[in-house]
Amino acid sequence: MPITNETLKAMIRDYNGLELSDEELELVRPELENYFAELKKLEDLDLSDAFSGRLMNLSD
Amino acid sequence: MSNTDLLRMTISELAPMIKNKEVSPVELTETALAEADRLQPTLNSFITILHDRAMNQARAAEEAISRGHYAGPLHGIPMGIKDNLATAGIKTTVGSKVLADHVPEEDAEVVTRCRNAGAIIIGKENLEEFAAGATSNNPHYGAVHNPWGLDHIPGGSSGGGGANVAAGVTFASLGTDLGGSVRLPGTFCGVVGLKQTYGRVSQRGLMVTSFNGDHIGPMTRSVADSALVLQVLAGNDPLDPSTVPVPVPDYSAYLGKSLKGLKMGVPSNHYFDLLDGEVESAVRGSIAALEELGAELQEVSLPMMEYIGAMRIAAMADGVVTHEPYLKAHREDYGPDVFYRTVPGQFVLGKDYSKSLKVQRLIQAEYAQVMQQVDFLVTPTAPVAAPRIDAKYISINGEEHRVRGPGSGVISRNTSPMNAVGLPAITVPCGVNKSGLPIGVQFITGAFEEGLLFQVADNYENVSPSQGLRPAVAVGA
Repeated sequence: MPITNETLKAMIRDYNGLELSDEELELVRPELENYFAELKKLEDLDLSDAFSGRLMNLSD
Repeated sequence: MSNTDLLRMTISELAPMIKNKEVSPVELTETALAEADRLQPTLNSFITILHDRAMNQARAAEEAISRGHYAGPLHGIPMGIKDNLATAGIKTTVGSKVLADHVPEEDAEVVTRCRNAGAIIIGKENLEEFAAGATSNNPHYGAVHNPWGLDHIPGGSSGGGGANVAAGVTFASLGTDLGGSVRLPGTFCGVVGLKQTYGRVSQRGLMVTSFNGDHIGPMTRSVADSALVLQVLAGNDPLDPSTVPVPVPDYSAYLGKSLKGLKMGVPSNHYFDLLDGEVESAVRGSIAALEELGAELQEVSLPMMEYIGAMRIAAMADGVVTHEPYLKAHREDYGPDVFYRTVPGQFVLGKDYSKSLKVQRLIQAEYAQVMQQVDFLVTPTAPVAAPRIDAKYISINGEEHRVRGPGSGVISRNTSPMNAVGLPAITVPCGVNKSGLPIGVQFITGAFEEGLLFQVADNYENVSPSQGLRPAVAVGA
């Protein structure tokens, strides 16, 4: 189920975000939909053995 | 030598003539500035043209040579600099209205290195607003036009530089690449575009918008010229902790070396999955040509690429953090594409950001394994040739995809992975489509193996069907 405008507005209010009108929230939806779609894909991926950060060595 | 002849040359051809005083940096710069003025109404490739400063630099460069102080292959060469790279005392807008009057006090490190090498900076080049997109259709400074088809985008975000190099205005331009912003103008404008290994070139003086994906790289008329420019840019910068103190080899020494026995990896997934037919045909032709040159074809699988889209999660959060002070103070000065693509970053949760970084590590590990099996990878640079400037969507294999703004990203699907992985990648022209628009092939090597990258790219360039092609707007075309 897509995240509601009410939830997004609550996040903005509670986390001191940038105010967006209902019309503007619709304009950011394509980017948010991409975000949620990518998260969905990660549900089946085991990340327990992955460490964040970049290690770029000559041997890479 | 005529002005037309001068404007069609490469740095590699000009440098010995400048050194031997057969070509004057002053005359060369006058010629390049005149060409910039002639084409600016057509291409809109500059935000600022530096007539007086460039001529002063050119006179100083010429005097230095006359005193016997030749600084190397960039000495006396007119270059362009993307307008998100700091230039001391010169307006640096980052393509934005927010920073329209911003004048840095110091040069970016790469600009300093070019100046010290004797290069002449003739202008600050137009780009996507805040370098945040692939079209260079700037709402404040106007759209940059592709020299090969004026109704088409030059790619972005370093579109002004790509257009200038292709049209014969600059001999090299410095761009920046967070998702393909050097390589996309490279492919769409039919020039060579390089994104070197992360850590190879200082980012100091660039308005970076990510923690580990920004790169500064050259667009040039040839692979040999790309090697010459990287030679100047590369090296550790003690004031930029992202750079790595790895020795810088002589890149030009790799040019002309045979490809015999090198293993060429062709990905079996992702890179060829969503592709215009003419682009696929051109790139498959490149692969065949490389086999003829002695490279051994080996198919490689990159299963983790299924998750490459997760990199956008970190990019969203990084982007909004970078922009937060500007968004709060100058919200009304943003164009809609960048505003509505940036603001959603405020909804990214910390746990999702962390997941994105973990995915990045797994993808990096997979590429590190693959690069143990092969010497280099070959992919299409972009899935299509340059879309039209007025296109909001493009169709690939019957599916509609956004070109810019919120939800866009298909144009950079083959370039952005190397920003996440950090490996060096270069685009080289590999033909044109039926509309006469350029197509590019991308080569990728292991970390800090830019020499090998130039070796592969140079071999291919010599047999590319793009050899000798020039856009109609270029002088003498």
